[in-house]
Amino acid sequence: MAVHIVEDDPGVSDSLLMFLQGMGLVAYTYPDAESFFEADPPQPDDTIIVDLLLPGISGAGVIRWLQELKEPPRVIAISAQSQSAIEKQIRGISGVEILRKPLSSELISQIV
Amino acid sequence: MVAARFARGSSGPGMGEAEQHASASSSVSAARLESVLDTAVDAILVINEKAQILVYNRACEKLFGYSPQETLGRNIRMIMPADYAGAHDGYMTNYMTTGHRKIIGIGREVRARHRDGTEFPVELSVGETETPEGRQFIGIIRDLRPRKEQERRVNELQADLVHMARVSAMDEMGAALAHELNQPLTAIMLYLQAASRSLARSPNGVPAAPDVFRQVLEKAVHEAERAGGIISRMRQFVEKRDPQRRAVDLNAVVEEAVELTLLGLRTNARMDRSFAAALPPAVVDPIQIQQIVVNLLRNAFEALRDRQDGIVRVSTSRQGDSFVVAVEDNGPGLPPGIVPTLFKAFSSSKRSGMGLGLSISRAIAQNHAGDLTVDPGGNGRGARFELRLPMIAVPEADEGDDVDTMPAATPPSSASGVDA
Repeated sequence: MAVHIVEDDPGVSDSLLMFLQGMGLVAYTYPDAESFFEADPPQPDDTIIVDLLLPGISGAGVIRWLQELKEPPRVIAISAQSQSAIEKQIRGISGVEILRKPLSSELISQIV
Repeated sequence: MVAARFARGSSGPGMGEAEQHASASSSVSAARLESVLDTAVDAILVINEKAQILVYNRACEKLFGYSPQETLGRNIRMIMPADYAGAHDGYMTNYMTTGHRKIIGIGREVRARHRDGTEFPVELSVGETETPEGRQFIGIIRDLRPRKEQERRVNELQADLVHMARVSAMDEMGAALAHELNQPLTAIMLYLQAASRSLARSPNGVPAAPDVFRQVLEKAVHEAERAGGIISRMRQFVEKRDPQRRAVDLNAVVEEAVELTLLGLRTNARMDRSFAAALPPAVVDPIQIQQIVVNLLRNAFEALRDRQDGIVRVSTSRQGDSFVVAVEDNGPGLPPGIVPTLFKAFSSSKRSGMGLGLSISRAIAQNHAGDLTVDPGGNGRGARFELRLPMIAVPEADEGDDVDTMPAATPPSSASGVDA
């Protein structure tokens, strides 16, 4: 099992990577949806952490794509936006856990 | 009391021995003159070639606090601050010998001195007349304190309004800026957590891989600096402070505005900069110019909302004696209907904001002796705004230095002009 981080902010992405590796997990980072799609598709037991606001293809687009996989992996959406902005973006998508930034480390370690 | 305000004796006009047989008509005209002088709102003084006061009207009494008895026949120096008083006789001698006019017929702003020692700004106009008793000089003096006070109030109100517009712009950017701050805060939290975890898991209290540990802390510090940078940028922009013009690098001011705008904005549009090389320094209030550019950039990005191929171009250039900062987008251009009222206050076509941005931006530009104009575009062209600022020689270190040799002047009035 691995954690895939799709996040355009280098600081957030790198710190998440370090944090997860510190927990003994295997983790990978992608600066945008496009590079995530270019990599091998995730395994069913993987977890994907995706920022909702990405340049190019949106985080919601990534979530929809993942949910259409035969065995969808777990998806955690992260966002630093307001609740209303988040709801607007994930309208029509169900079964997604959402974490608002700043992320609390307890919350992440509980979830992952 | 008819002649009370006139000096008696040989140097005085009007009542001299030669006019002992003055006709009734001349005494009528003297009375009329007296009444004119005492009715005048401005202080009126007449002095002779020796700088002795010959006429001192009622307005003078009020303005300077001396009675006519105390002043008539005495040197005009008594109503001047010490620095002028010492030089005045020299000026007069200089004029008598060279005929070179520094103030006569020109008028200027000078300081006067009240009996109680208070110095205050006045506007002084000086005329000259030949009389049988030699040359005489007429001074008309207007108290500038009410006008100065009014100017100060206007400046203060304008500065408040301009500041309010900045705060309002920052308010509109607030949500995006909060988002921008959340990023480094998230990173700091995770880095520190990772560091702390690596310590906790190290066997027998021996820290594992100190290099990695140090690296993580350094990254956390870097993110903290990034958060601090965002805060200081915001603070600099909204902090209330007096308008201040100084020589600055215009490109750096524009770049700072671009950075600030991008912080407070989530956009897909591309930002294109084209800065002229080797621009001379611009003498401006950098925060106010930044305010104009932020306003123009935000409008441009707003025009590109919902477009995938949007580009905002900002450029600086030199055209003749002016700097030009241009902001243009490749949006639809401005609807012709809104162009006539575009720079008027409260005429916003946007959903948010007060509609003050462009009106205040133009006022700032004009206070800098420049202007803000628009080419509305349309038919496939986006709008293009041009901020034009005059190229001004960088002032000397001593700002109050007057080019004129006569020191009886306050600093150039442009320094105290309407500023916001």
